[in-house]
Amino acid sequence: MAEARITCTGLSKRYDKLWALRGVDCTFSRGEVVMLVGPNASGKTTLIKCLLALVHPTEGRIHLDGTTIDARGPVPHPGYRERIGYMPQISQFPASLSIRQLLEMMADIRGGAEGGAEDSLVEELGLTAQLDKRLSTLSGGTKQKVSAVLALRMRPDILVMDEPTAGLDPVSAKRVLSRAAAVRDAGGTVLITSHLMEEVESLADRVAYLEDGHLRFLLPVSEILERTGVSRLSQALPRMLEANARPMSYAG
Amino acid sequence: MLKVFKYTLLDLTRNRFVLGYALLMLVIAQGLFMLEDDPFKALLSLVQVVMALVPLIALVFTVVYMYDIQEFTQLLAVQPIARRAILGGQLLAMAAALLLAQAVGLGLPLLVHLPSKASFILSVSGSGLVLVFAALGALIALRQREKARGVGIALVVWLLLVIVYDALLMWGMFAFSDYPIEPFVVPVAGLNPIDLARIMVMLEIDLAAMMGYSGAIYRNFFGSTMGMVAAAAIMLMWVVVPTWSGFRAFRRKDL
Repeated sequence: MAEARITCTGLSKRYDKLWALRGVDCTFSRGEVVMLVGPNASGKTTLIKCLLALVHPTEGRIHLDGTTIDARGPVPHPGYRERIGYMPQISQFPASLSIRQLLEMMADIRGGAEGGAEDSLVEELGLTAQLDKRLSTLSGGTKQKVSAVLALRMRPDILVMDEPTAGLDPVSAKRVLSRAAAVRDAGGTVLITSHLMEEVESLADRVAYLEDGHLRFLLPVSEILERTGVSRLSQALPRMLEANARPMSYAG
Repeated sequence: MLKVFKYTLLDLTRNRFVLGYALLMLVIAQGLFMLEDDPFKALLSLVQVVMALVPLIALVFTVVYMYDIQEFTQLLAVQPIARRAILGGQLLAMAAALLLAQAVGLGLPLLVHLPSKASFILSVSGSGLVLVFAALGALIALRQREKARGVGIALVVWLLLVIVYDALLMWGMFAFSDYPIEPFVVPVAGLNPIDLARIMVMLEIDLAAMMGYSGAIYRNFFGSTMGMVAAAAIMLMWVVVPTWSGFRAFRRKDL
């Protein structure tokens, strides 16, 4: 088993009366891609937002590379996010800035360690000709590309992507996912939420299935296929759910 | 914080709302000075406009902008920078953009048509109101998740401070007119930042003389050094308390 990098213990999050996460126990390791799947409002985005300290857990704790995010503890030092790349589900940027200004700004804010507008991913995703366009004039897909560049250009050790290919053309989607695989190959931890089973099959080392805030299972793809006796994840997941009717917390 | 400030300000320099605010104030101020023969009369009209319009625009702009940049704030919050630096930079940039717009829209016509101490006091009071209502707007946006509700609360706050507060004060003065309540009216009026700003300008224009006994009380209190310090302290409190509450709310806010 690879070295654990992120450990969630009894992680719960409540928004007013709604429990978005309930007692989630899981571990994510170095050098793996974990795909977070589950129906809408199952807690996938809340789980990754907890990791990023965008939302504060109601109960439980997260250990991430020596940093503890505790429901009852202080706000963690922001330095732990230095090597985390995050691509959100919805990308909105300051309307009147250009792509170039945004890239420069983020490099400036992060201390200028990573590449600028000349980044190879900018070219790969076909953004070079649009660098001086205002962000308000860009399509949703182009904004997603910009968001992917922001997440990937600082060579993250932990990469968190919330439905990264939604709105992207197939070629760009493939390029973004291959970059995510490269992060894994370099020893990084990659967490991706997705509803596309082909995407999950092609990239995932393990699959975490969330439902109603519960982690139903977190297992290697090969084990899921083996347990269900089918060759496709799209067929295997419903069978797994039937077999595990009761919610479970499985650290994998 | 300075980096967030720099880039937020860069974004705001091309914001239509800010440009529109500068233009609106410029048109109103310039129009009033051109319509009135006596620049002091124009200044009096301008005082009324500033006291009503500046709080409204500062409040609504701050609330709307804070909601509009929510996703971007989220993006900043996943970078290795403290949340206080993010909010600090954004608040400073919004205040700076509004103050800059006001300097062009209000300060410039005042400087051209009536370069006097009264104009200076009006500019300073207007700037104070920008800071107060930008801080209140930010607090509303940080406490309230829904944009429509946030804007609604902002409008209620504006109505309360611009109209209801004064109406209640006048009702109190009328209802208790048989009693010597005017010494109590001064601190109560002074607690409202808009009234406070208005009193400071009125005293400078010497309009207090026309306000009878109340005017004399205002002059005695706010005309002194102690009164000026108290006025500045109240104004500062109106900026500091909402700002501090905003920082507290943002520290653990779910983004």
